Amino acid sequence: MSSSASPEALAAPAGADEGEDSVLYVMTHGLEAPERCATPFFLAASAAAMDVETAIYFTMNGPQLLRKDVIDKVGPKGEQGQRLRFFIEQALDCDVRLLVCQPSLDLNDLTREELLDEVEMIGGAAFNGLAMEASAVVTF
Amino acid sequence: MEAQMTPAQTIDVTGKACPIPVVKTAKAMKAMGTGDVLEVLATDPGVEPDMQAWTKQTGNELLGIEQRDGVFRVLLRKS
Repeated sequence: MSSSASPEALAAPAGADEGEDSVLYVMTHGLEAPERCATPFFLAASAAAMDVETAIYFTMNGPQLLRKDVIDKVGPKGEQGQRLRFFIEQALDCDVRLLVCQPSLDLNDLTREELLDEVEMIGGAAFNGLAMEASAVVTF
Repeated sequence: MEAQMTPAQTIDVTGKACPIPVVKTAKAMKAMGTGDVLEVLATDPGVEPDMQAWTKQTGNELLGIEQRDGVFRVLLRKS
């Protein structure tokens, strides 16, 4: 049966099925702009609900939003409305991946242990790979 | 024809804003069988373009959207 596989199919890297859509969101803002904190999670949840592989990459100030000790304190509308935890859990529930790179932890004087357990650590090469493979990259 | 339009399930997301209608719709549809019809009741003003985009992407069928007294009634068929 394997003899019937086309050369194109054999050449395709594992997990990169042709036509499989993906969206990569990039979040550069953190606690300095709480009004910006929810939208990437909203949009990523919507994308994941469309059966699209979805990830948010947190860089620059972005990793501040994934701190276990802030997600119940911060929300996009200050004291009103939902806390950050609501938006993060909604995205995770839709299988959105949350990605962080080590240098942005250093920049924010954070350790991996201070961030949510669901966060995945990746490097710059992995980020660039995801960006090149994605159907769309949306930067906030 | 009438029987085919009868919803197997209804979800009420009235009063809920984006992205809840789409997220709940996707979850409900995953649990349904091929050919089943899902009815979604929503008040989010963006529900029509959202459902068009969602069905286009996922391959499910948008049977129709009607609005009455500010509530959108969306019928979707699982492909």
